[in-house]
Amino acid sequence: MLNTRHSPEMPAPLTQKCRLFAWLALAGASWLMPLQAQTPSEAPALDLAATQAATKKTFQEKIVPFVSTYCTDCHGDKKQKGGMTFRSAIKNPGASAFRKQWKLSAASLKAHDMPPEDASKQPSPEEVKVFTDWVTEMKYLSPKDPGVFVIRRLNKVEYANTLKDLLGVPPEIATDLPEEVFGAGYLNSLSPLLMEQYLAIANGVLKSALAPEDAQPNALEKRLFGPPPAPGTHPREAAREAVHSLTRKAFRRPASEAETEVLLQVFDLAAQNGKSYATSLRLVLKAILVSPQFLFITPSGETQPGSDIVPLDDHQLASRLSYLLWATMPDAELAALADAGTLREPEILSGQAARLLADPRSRALFDGFGAQWLGVGKLASKTFDTAKFPQMTSELRAAMYDEARLFFENITRENRSLVTFVDGDYTFLNETLAPVYGLEREITGPQMRKVTLKDPNRGGILGMPGVLATTSFPNRTSPVNRGVWVLEQVLGEHVPLAPPNVPALEKQDKKKVANLTMRQRTELHRTNAVCANCHKILDPIGFGLENFDAIGRWREQDENGGAIDAAGELPGAKHFATPAELKKILATRTDDLSRNLSEKLLAYALCRQLEGYDEIVVDGITDAVRKDGFRMQTLLTQIVTSYPFTHRRIQEQGGPSNGKKLAN
Amino acid sequence: MEKNWLIDRRTCLRGLGASLALPLLETMGWAEQPKAAPYKPPVRLGFMYMPHGVIPDQFWPTSPETFLSSPPPCLESLRPVLEQCLLMKGISGIPIAPLSGAPHALELSTWLTATLPDANRRSQINIAISADQIAANYVGAFTALPSLELATMPQTHKENQEGLNEAYYSHCSFRSPTQPVPAETNPRSVFNRLFKDGGASLGGMKAKTAAPPDPLERGMLDLVLGGAKDLRKKLSYNDQHKLDEYLDCVRSLERRIAAIEFRQKEAALEAAGVSVSKRKTSDSPPIEIKIPEGDKRSEYMKVMCDLTVLAFQTDTTRVSTYIGSTPNGVSYPELGFTDQHHSVTHHNNQAEKVDKVMKISEFNLTQFAYMVERMHNLKEGEGTLLDNCIMMWGSGLEDGNKHSRENLPFIIAGRGGGSINTGRFLTGVSGNQGDLLSTLLTCAGIPIDRLVGIATKQLPEIMAGA
Repeated sequence: MLNTRHSPEMPAPLTQKCRLFAWLALAGASWLMPLQAQTPSEAPALDLAATQAATKKTFQEKIVPFVSTYCTDCHGDKKQKGGMTFRSAIKNPGASAFRKQWKLSAASLKAHDMPPEDASKQPSPEEVKVFTDWVTEMKYLSPKDPGVFVIRRLNKVEYANTLKDLLGVPPEIATDLPEEVFGAGYLNSLSPLLMEQYLAIANGVLKSALAPEDAQPNALEKRLFGPPPAPGTHPREAAREAVHSLTRKAFRRPASEAETEVLLQVFDLAAQNGKSYATSLRLVLKAILVSPQFLFITPSGETQPGSDIVPLDDHQLASRLSYLLWATMPDAELAALADAGTLREPEILSGQAARLLADPRSRALFDGFGAQWLGVGKLASKTFDTAKFPQMTSELRAAMYDEARLFFENITRENRSLVTFVDGDYTFLNETLAPVYGLEREITGPQMRKVTLKDPNRGGILGMPGVLATTSFPNRTSPVNRGVWVLEQVLGEHVPLAPPNVPALEKQDKKKVANLTMRQRTELHRTNAVCANCHKILDPIGFGLENFDAIGRWREQDENGGAIDAAGELPGAKHFATPAELKKILATRTDDLSRNLSEKLLAYALCRQLEGYDEIVVDGITDAVRKDGFRMQTLLTQIVTSYPFTHRRIQEQGGPSNGKKLAN
Repeated sequence: MEKNWLIDRRTCLRGLGASLALPLLETMGWAEQPKAAPYKPPVRLGFMYMPHGVIPDQFWPTSPETFLSSPPPCLESLRPVLEQCLLMKGISGIPIAPLSGAPHALELSTWLTATLPDANRRSQINIAISADQIAANYVGAFTALPSLELATMPQTHKENQEGLNEAYYSHCSFRSPTQPVPAETNPRSVFNRLFKDGGASLGGMKAKTAAPPDPLERGMLDLVLGGAKDLRKKLSYNDQHKLDEYLDCVRSLERRIAAIEFRQKEAALEAAGVSVSKRKTSDSPPIEIKIPEGDKRSEYMKVMCDLTVLAFQTDTTRVSTYIGSTPNGVSYPELGFTDQHHSVTHHNNQAEKVDKVMKISEFNLTQFAYMVERMHNLKEGEGTLLDNCIMMWGSGLEDGNKHSRENLPFIIAGRGGGSINTGRFLTGVSGNQGDLLSTLLTCAGIPIDRLVGIATKQLPEIMAGA
């Protein structure tokens, strides 16, 4: 995420000034913007309707005239400067596609970058305020909408774990499948290659988990297929029993009559070709393993014609919960609650979430979400300069990953405040990782154990080697990357990309630059007006962490021998001189920390990016989490009981209808 | 979650054994040509990608006249096959407004589509079928694999530019506007997929045809397919759309099994001494795949190139796409520096960084040159394998420093069965990347009912006879 930004000492020449200023405006303004007003998510429907009406009214009466007066000369039908036009946004202001455009416009206005100085018409401060306030309220234009939850293919890890739970095969059986992104960026698509691999893996599974064909059945076969048909019973009827029990697990829901019949036809196909009862059931099992009901999370029943939004059925909900927290199929208890139809009751659902989190399998939440959030998933494959950092062995990388994992799991399982991610005074170390902390004398042995840290600069994700290393270049730190990381991943700010065409710095005299510290070199481009807007806000955070080198060791001097100056200032005249003080300031931004984690976790849980109505949901979650001391499990139970997690829209907005609308 | 591909590769290469030598199988044209027609090898179409553009001054030849005698340093590795290469200056990339903040998310995903993602539905994949998949749809029916998609890095990069779905970053092949095609990164899997079930020979021994496909497998798949169609009727509109991907993939799997069975039958006939009419003897030496011991990227990429050559040579597929590198901060420690590719492309004309970009470009081009030279050295019919290929190398940006797209760097190697006039450097070409892709599809004999993406015309100047 960080590496495509330009590094601090290499801005590029300018050609697209206009767009650039828009970016900078966004940068400057969004960081200085006060916290958005928090509103409970499940506000009474009437209030929501009233707010929505007011937001629409303001739009028609104030915003439309504003845009046509000040904006559309350059960003309208005739001209689209910087590729930006209000043509579509003005017609459908609530559409999620234009959310970003409205926000960017508000930011540009606030920073006085738009309209440009030489424009003949300039809005008054009051007019600007009406516009920017409206943009904050814009989320109320979105209709209550859980978003689509189309049948979702199990990702690589989920598929492997499910096979393991089902048939006891090692997860390595799925090694050859392509690596996949989890959660928000998950690509729910299928390709011929994948389908081929699923069939090949099914063949491999049958071969490795079951006894050789026509040999005595092994324990697994007995469990899967049940007893052979008793004398006098029709084999097909015995097979029907086997199919029922196989599909209840493999489909994670009861199979319909029609689905059972298809599998019995597979049984017939084998039987008619002279295969034994047991061999015929093998072919059935193979068919199950390549069926869409196994490969995807599918709903149990038929969708009611005419409905746009439906609650998830209990089996779908059980799968959604189980795959979120465990990355595998529901266990017996969860399946039983789904069968009983009670899982959707909020207390039961919350209770199950807590139970799943307490189980070691909830490690999946870190591997899938936490590692991505903290960036440590990249550690194993990241390039480091081996001459400078020979100690970055795979063992040390693994220890860094485990440290982040254990810290995350500790906060989750012990239900601590999520602010602990910033201000925690403990971590998990072993002898491999201890030298990075300078604790090699205290910590011996390969096992990771909890360690209380006396140094206030350490503790929490900001002083964590895995995070500090992934936000560095292979051979040195990057204050810019670290600053961006903290803003985006910890505080949830939206940092614009470095614009492609930044004007060149005065040609740096190489000899002069060589003796500067990284801070001094980075600060060079803050002497340039165009760069400064952005960097004056993101660099200080990175400077505050300069005492940590590119693999997270403490240092007083940088590689050129210059003393590290970790002092800086954050918006609001908040000064700091050490990483400890920086952490202290960030830890007070509890609402930002909690809102950020709510957004990221909700997007992960829903496997999609958040859109209009989700903002209102996140408001509600953040509220509830604040009221309960920012506890991590409260956050998670809020997410799994939230409206978009428990409901789904089953047709495109304005898309073709799935049947006749019911008359009311 | 993310795996180190180097480790992955080492492990898998060990699994492959020390060295493989594959005798040449010329089984071209086994299905589509009437028996009486004169033998004509099929045209194969290959694509290989490098992100972030080039240093334009050092990439473009000084003049058309000196192109062959003194190519620019960047193209040095192609010297042995320059006569088979075509360079065109003047092919512009697709304008990316209103997604101007996403130069890197778009460079790869627009490369073979010449189409911008739907800016109103950014979080979903919504682009267009890519040129390689258009080709695969047509010629894929003749081969055991409709197409081959390869990559050096796993396609797991997560970065959100302009609110676009993150898969735009690392995918270039799209089977439909909403269906990106994943690429394979593991050479052993690729090899197995190409040859293990398919009747090719390994190490000079009789085909190690694992187990032949279970004869009941196709019948079983038919039933499963029928069941999936029943399920589809009960699903909502959105779900139906997703299930259609499944139906499409199962059908493709059935075709593949049928093709494998056909090949096995053919091989059995051959073994029984019945000559198969389309088979030609070849005087080319068997191509050998060397399995490297180390973990260098050059060696990894070579194996992937070898596999492409082999797949074409044996007519296992006629379409391949190799994402040699993705635009997400790849380092090349093998070149003696650890800077990330993207970082150095914003070189701001600093000599040291320009030099590193050059080295990275040369490195990538050397792998491409290795592949096409190998094809050039394989005889096929009256000419060489390369004569019957169209191999396109290129990038989705012209100059990574400026993110410019005015003159995209493309190299075409191979004469496309006589359809392309090579050995030239064309200046002043006026066209866009869609025009080029449309022309290449036409040269490969693929009838297209409409031009690719932003294309407005074909480019006759690159065709033979121009």
